Amino acid sequence: MSSPNVITTCLPASGSNVHKVELPENALVLSPTRQLQSLLTIIRDEKTQRGDFVLIIRLLVEEGLNHLPVIDKKVTTPTGKVYDGVAFQGRICGVSIMRAGEAMEAGLRDCCRSVRIGKDEETYQPKLFYAKLPDDIAKRYVLLLDPMLATGGSCIKAIEVLLEHGVEEEKILFLNLIASPEGIQKVCTRFPKLRIITAWVDEGLDNNSYIVPGLGDFGDR
Amino acid sequence: MSSHDPNHLHPAVKPQLQPGKYSPKSKNMVMASHGRAPWYGPDGKNVETYVIGIAGGSASGKTSVARAILSALNYVPTVLILSQDSFYCAHTPEQVETAFNNDFDFDHPDAIDTPLFVKCLLDLKQGKATEIPIYSFVHHQRMPEKKYIYGASVIIVEGIMALQSPELRALYDLKVFVNCDSDLMLARRIKRDVKERGRDVDGILDQYLRFVKNSYDNFVQPSSRHADIIVPGSSNQLAIELLVTHVKRQLDTRSLRFRRMLAEAGEEKAKARSRSSTLVDGEGGDDNVVLLEQTNQLLGIMTILRDKTTDRGEFIFHADRLSTIVVERALSLIPCQPKTVKTPLGIDYEGLARDDRLVGISILRSGGPFSHGLRRVIRDVPIGAMLIQSDPRTGEPLLLKSDLPSSIKSRDTSGEVKVLLLDSQMGTGAAAMMAIRVLLDHGVKSTNIIFLTYLITQPAIHSVHRAFPEVKIVTAAIDPELTEMHIPYNPDSLQLGDVAGEADFAVQHIPKSSTNVVHKNGPEHKYENGHGQEEGDDLRGAVKSENELSFDHFKIHVQDTEELKFSRSRSKGVESEKRAWVISPGMGHIGDRYYIS
Repeated sequence: MSSPNVITTCLPASGSNVHKVELPENALVLSPTRQLQSLLTIIRDEKTQRGDFVLIIRLLVEEGLNHLPVIDKKVTTPTGKVYDGVAFQGRICGVSIMRAGEAMEAGLRDCCRSVRIGKDEETYQPKLFYAKLPDDIAKRYVLLLDPMLATGGSCIKAIEVLLEHGVEEEKILFLNLIASPEGIQKVCTRFPKLRIITAWVDEGLDNNSYIVPGLGDFGDR
Repeated sequence: MSSHDPNHLHPAVKPQLQPGKYSPKSKNMVMASHGRAPWYGPDGKNVETYVIGIAGGSASGKTSVARAILSALNYVPTVLILSQDSFYCAHTPEQVETAFNNDFDFDHPDAIDTPLFVKCLLDLKQGKATEIPIYSFVHHQRMPEKKYIYGASVIIVEGIMALQSPELRALYDLKVFVNCDSDLMLARRIKRDVKERGRDVDGILDQYLRFVKNSYDNFVQPSSRHADIIVPGSSNQLAIELLVTHVKRQLDTRSLRFRRMLAEAGEEKAKARSRSSTLVDGEGGDDNVVLLEQTNQLLGIMTILRDKTTDRGEFIFHADRLSTIVVERALSLIPCQPKTVKTPLGIDYEGLARDDRLVGISILRSGGPFSHGLRRVIRDVPIGAMLIQSDPRTGEPLLLKSDLPSSIKSRDTSGEVKVLLLDSQMGTGAAAMMAIRVLLDHGVKSTNIIFLTYLITQPAIHSVHRAFPEVKIVTAAIDPELTEMHIPYNPDSLQLGDVAGEADFAVQHIPKSSTNVVHKNGPEHKYENGHGQEEGDDLRGAVKSENELSFDHFKIHVQDTEELKFSRSRSKGVESEKRAWVISPGMGHIGDRYYIS
C-alpha cells in the first residue's frame, strides 16, 4: 500500500526544490521516476502539443485512486481456485476546473469506467461562473482536476463550491500536475482534510503569478 | 551443379536465352513445416545446429542428395539448404567484363568468398540470425541487398568446393562427398545445360575443358578424402537411407524435452518457496525482478481480472489499464539522458529524455493486450510479434512465426535496441525463454531486454532468471504454483492450432486410450500424479475450450463457448484430452478472455 508523504527518489530531481520544501501532511508528490521526469520534460517543452499531457495525468489519477477505500473480496478464478482480492468501494466523480482541467478528463477516463464528470469554471480572479455537477455528488468521492496549482485561488473557489454541494472535505482528492510551494501551503492549510496529489513541485511563482519554470498556460496549450 | 556458364543468363550475348527460367538462386531453399522447438538448453545457451556439408563435381547429384535428406527430415521444422553459389566474391569491373566474355574461372576456389561464407555459416550454426549475400548471375556481381536468415534447425551446405576449405570443414557435423564418374557427370551436364539453360554443346564442352575439368581434378576430387561418407551419384537410394538414419539418430540425441525439464526444476523450488512465503520478490530482492507496488488499485484490478465472472468488456478495460501501469513501471527502468528544454515562459528546464531506441515485441496471442497498453504510453513505438505455441505432442514451446522490427533484424542496430517483451502471463517460462533467445540470437543485449507481464509463477522466475540473469522482469503479481490440468477436446474437429496451447498457457495432447501412461518416457508419469490432479473432478472449467483457438491468431472463430469440465473420468463425446500447465490461482486464458466474447 502506498502511503502519503513518502517520497522515494530514483534520480536527483533536477530543476526542482521538492526535497527542500516542507510539505503539509495532506500533500503527496509522485515518485520522481525516470518515466515521470522524461514525461515532464516533454510537457514543459514549449514545442509540445496538448496530446502528450494525458500520460502524466493518468499517473496522477492512478495514484489518486489508491486513496479510495477497498474492501476484501474473494473471487473464483477460471482455474477454479479462490483468490483473496479486494473490491473498490465508493463511487467517484471527476470534476474538472475549466478550461485547463478539461484536458485531464481523458486521463481519468482511461482509469475509471463511466466516471461522472462535472464542470467548474475558473477565471484569473477566483469567481464562480458556471458549475455543472452531478446531482448525487454529495455521496461520491470527488477527483478534482486542475493541472496547475499556482496561487491556489481558483482551486480554493472550486473546493468551496464542492463543499456547498455537500461533498465531504475528506472525500476530495485534488489532482494536480505542477504545483507551487505557495499554492500547496495555502490550499492545505485552508482544507486540512482534503488531499492534494501533485506530480511535481516547482520553484515558485513569478510576478505574474505563473509557476516557474512551469509549463505556461495549460488551458491555452 | 555449381559450375555454371557465366554467360547463361546474359541476354545481350545470348539473346535466345530465357532469363529466369533457371535461377541458381533457388538452390538456397528453406523448408519450414510447423514451428521450431527449443534450440537451446534450460541454461539458455544455444545447442549448435546440425550442419551437413555436401561436395561433389558439377552435375554429380549433390542437389538430389541434399533434397533427399531434406524430404526425409520432413519432421524437422526448418531445414536450410545453403548453396555455395551465393558466396561468389564481389567482382571488380574488370572481372565482370571477363565474366561476360566467358573467361572468368568460376570453378576455382578463389572465386568464393570463403571468409564471409565461414562467418555466415558460423552464425547459423550457433543459432544466430545472419544476412547472406545475394549473387546475381545476370549481372555477374554480388547485389547490394542481403538475405536475412534465421532459425534453421538443420543446415545443408552444398557446392563443389564445400569440402575444400578447412575453415568450412571445421563447421560440419557430417561431411558427404557425392562421387560420380566423369563421363556420367559430363553427360548429365550437357543434357541439363542444353535443356534448362538453352546452351549449345560446343559451348558446354569448351567451358568443361577449360575450367570444369581442371577444377574437378585439382580441387574437387581431392577434397573427397575429407568426407565422412562417399555417396554414389546414381542408384544411391540405399546410401541416402543410411545417411538419413544416421542424421536422424544424431538429431534425436540433441532434441530437448524442454518444458518438462523446466517445470520439474521449477516445481521443487516453488514448493519450497510457497511454504516459506507467499509473495516475495523473485530471487530474494533481486533488482532484475520488479514486482509492482501492491497498491489498493492494483489489487482491485487483479481481483477483477482473476474473477471468472468478469465480463469481457470489463476484462478488456482493466487489462488495458493494468498493461499501462506495467509499461509505465518498465519505462522507469530505461536509461535517460539529461535534456534541457525551454518552457513557454522562456525559462530553461533541465529534464530527462528517454532513450528512444525502444521497441515492443508481443508474444502472441496473449501478449496482444499488452501492445495496447504500450501504444497508449508511446504512440509511435515499433511493435513486433512472435507466435509461440506449445507442441501438442511434447508440450514444448514452438516458434511458429517471428515478425521483428527492422532495428532488430539488422546487426548494425540490434546491439543498442531496448526491447520490451510483452506477454500477459508467464507459467513455465518456456515461451519467455524462447522469445528472449530469439532476441539474443539477433544480437540484442540481455541487459536491454525487459519482460513485462501481469502474472508470473515462481518456477518461471527461477527458470528465466537462471538462464538469463540480466533480463529484467516487471510483473503485477507472482503466483506460487503451476497446476496441471486436463482439458477434454474432440479430436474429430481438430486443427493444428486447436491442441496447441499458446505461449505459456502450455497444452499437451493426450490420447484418451492412454490417459494414465502418456508417453513412454519415464518422467511423464510424475505429472500424471501431479498436484493438479486431485481437483480434477470438481473443476468445472471456466477456462474456455481450447477448441476455440485458431492457429491463425487474426481469425479467431468461436465454436462453442460452453464451459467444460476438467474431469478425466468424463468420456461421453470426448475422446481425447489436453494437458495444460496453468498458473494457479491465475486468471485463466488471458488471450481468450480478451479476444473471445
